[in-house]
Amino acid sequence: MKAQRLRLLVWKEFLQLRRDRLLLPLVFIMPILYVVMFGYVVGSDVRNLPTAVVDGDHTAMSRSIADAFQNSGYFVITERPSSEAALEPLIDSGKAKVGIVIERGTSERLSRGQTVPLGIVVDGADSKTASVASGYASQLVAYFDQRHTAGATSVGSLIDARVRVLFNPSLKSANAMIPGLVGSILMLSIMVIMSQAVVRERARGTLEQMMVTPVTRGEYLLGKVLPYVLIAIVQMAFVVLVGRLWFGVPFNGSVWTVVLGLGLFTLTSVGMGLLISLVSRTQQQAQQTVMFIMIPTMVLSGFLFPIESMPAAVVPLTYLIPLRYAVAVLRAAFLKGSSIADLAGPLLAMAVFAAAIFGFAVSRFHKRLSD
Amino acid sequence: MSLFGNRKQAVPQAETLGDDAIVVSKLRKTFGDFVAVDSIDLTVKRGEIFGFLGPNGSGKTTTIRMLCGVIEPSGGTATVMGYDICKDPEKVRCNIGYMSQKFSLFQDLTVDENLRFYSGLYGLTAEKYAERRAYILKMADLEGRETELTKNLSVGWKQRLALGCATLHEPKLIFLDEPTSGVDPTARRQFWELLYDLANDGVALFVTTHYMDEATHCNRLAFIYRGDIIAAGTPQEVKAGLAKDTILRLDVDDGEGALAALQGNSAVAEAYMQGASLQVNIGHLSADEADLPAVLGSAGFLVHGVERVEPTLEDAFVHLVTEQGGRA
Repeated sequence: MKAQRLRLLVWKEFLQLRRDRLLLPLVFIMPILYVVMFGYVVGSDVRNLPTAVVDGDHTAMSRSIADAFQNSGYFVITERPSSEAALEPLIDSGKAKVGIVIERGTSERLSRGQTVPLGIVVDGADSKTASVASGYASQLVAYFDQRHTAGATSVGSLIDARVRVLFNPSLKSANAMIPGLVGSILMLSIMVIMSQAVVRERARGTLEQMMVTPVTRGEYLLGKVLPYVLIAIVQMAFVVLVGRLWFGVPFNGSVWTVVLGLGLFTLTSVGMGLLISLVSRTQQQAQQTVMFIMIPTMVLSGFLFPIESMPAAVVPLTYLIPLRYAVAVLRAAFLKGSSIADLAGPLLAMAVFAAAIFGFAVSRFHKRLSD
Repeated sequence: MSLFGNRKQAVPQAETLGDDAIVVSKLRKTFGDFVAVDSIDLTVKRGEIFGFLGPNGSGKTTTIRMLCGVIEPSGGTATVMGYDICKDPEKVRCNIGYMSQKFSLFQDLTVDENLRFYSGLYGLTAEKYAERRAYILKMADLEGRETELTKNLSVGWKQRLALGCATLHEPKLIFLDEPTSGVDPTARRQFWELLYDLANDGVALFVTTHYMDEATHCNRLAFIYRGDIIAAGTPQEVKAGLAKDTILRLDVDDGEGALAALQGNSAVAEAYMQGASLQVNIGHLSADEADLPAVLGSAGFLVHGVERVEPTLEDAFVHLVTEQGGRA
């Protein structure tokens, strides 16, 4: 292993990257796009739901119930139909996602200390929005009810305050998303670029040429891996920075836990990219294989969907997804401040994956280049 | 013209070496059950242009890869520039140049960057690099194009630059795997002049080619077929195997049709198209005995002329392959 030759290989790789009209913008745009997408768009928080209120009571109390919904920030009262019959067409047409029905006599029964039925109609077409909206609505009502029967005076402002504190899902979803995103970007970036790296050189004949120069296979491999690991580190640092500064994601754990987790995961990702590169004969094949692997990885890793909500039959499969452990380690380290000892299980699993996949890839790399 | 301005910088091992650049003995390579190279022997002398010929898939590239220390042989031994290819593959790679039909330069690097990269791989000093760079730019006629991307160069330029990169470290042995395929005739001739210059400077050249005119220019040849060397020697020696045979060149309207009509004719040992005319080996028969115009005439082909020609290398190889019971 000669440092001078390794430097040369890395220099060449960066030169080529600089001239790659597709890859270069991808390397920079990807983390920005993903942070925006996963920080904002994929969040589980639902805001400003168009809401229709059917107020059959017409009292100060019924108006304050409606105001409580409006003030929560999750509901925007856009329609005030006169009857429940007029509500359904609004929901059908999508003008309203949520309907709130306050029956005649609500105020009177509340003042007598009776339970008040409050109708909440949710558009079930979008199951995610529906479950979130109904969740918010029923919680809002519960607090309203509780406060009122306790005899509090300024009902509206109190509800407002309680709801804001308890429901802060925009913060919550970013908190879970950003640490998971760090792992996902590492994997995606390294796998996509690594898988292309060797196939391209083989297709262009430069691999053949390299093999008859004094460059050793170890130097060649490291010269391929190093530049892209460096790029992935810059991308991850960017995501962490934006997560901390813009989304206010807390970091309660130790840097070493994160570094250890990411280090092991890097080896796994490099190994997978390299394997794809070795089995693929063309760059298109390599791209297809990456896609084939990425979709189940994203779905089953727990990065986008909680593993707890998956069908029992699918859950065992998630143990085969290396990203699952990376997401678990990163989230726990960021949010819960878990130590290396706390995360021994997932870290050990990652070490096994790293050793197996990277080791296999390197052995195949040596053999494949000779045949 | 001397390709290497400063002979003192020659690879030091060359001094201690005998006359042979490559010595191969019983070299064999199998992939599973398939025998790619079947116990071949050959010797390449220093300063010699050695032509390594054979149809695609006959074991040419496998042999070159073994000799370059890229793959390990399954059996036999070979010394390249004095180093054993099994024990010292890295030493072998330091002392050879290699250029393939793909002109394996980095297309998205400039001329200068390619030169700098390869000079670094071979560990050239800064002064040496400056000297070699100037020389190669001149040789490849690339002065003034140093900052151009390699992919924008014409094929002839790419090819000369590839040769330049392969000779940056002044190897005394260069492997050229079909270096001129896909190159126009003018560029091919210019390229071969560069090869002659190298050979005059004592550099051994191991060349594979499909062009028979190029093969004729080699000092010695080996013809590999199905992993076996079935003929070797100077071009004259190879052709001499056919000296007693009569080769006729037939000028026919429909050459392809006439060729089909001659298949199975007892008088015809071998027949194939040579440009627009038909080349026929009638063995020990004379032109009159075979009387091909009559044979073809009865099949409906008008023969405009029959001429007895000296056997070419191509005739020799068609003959050799036919003898092996296969098809070229």
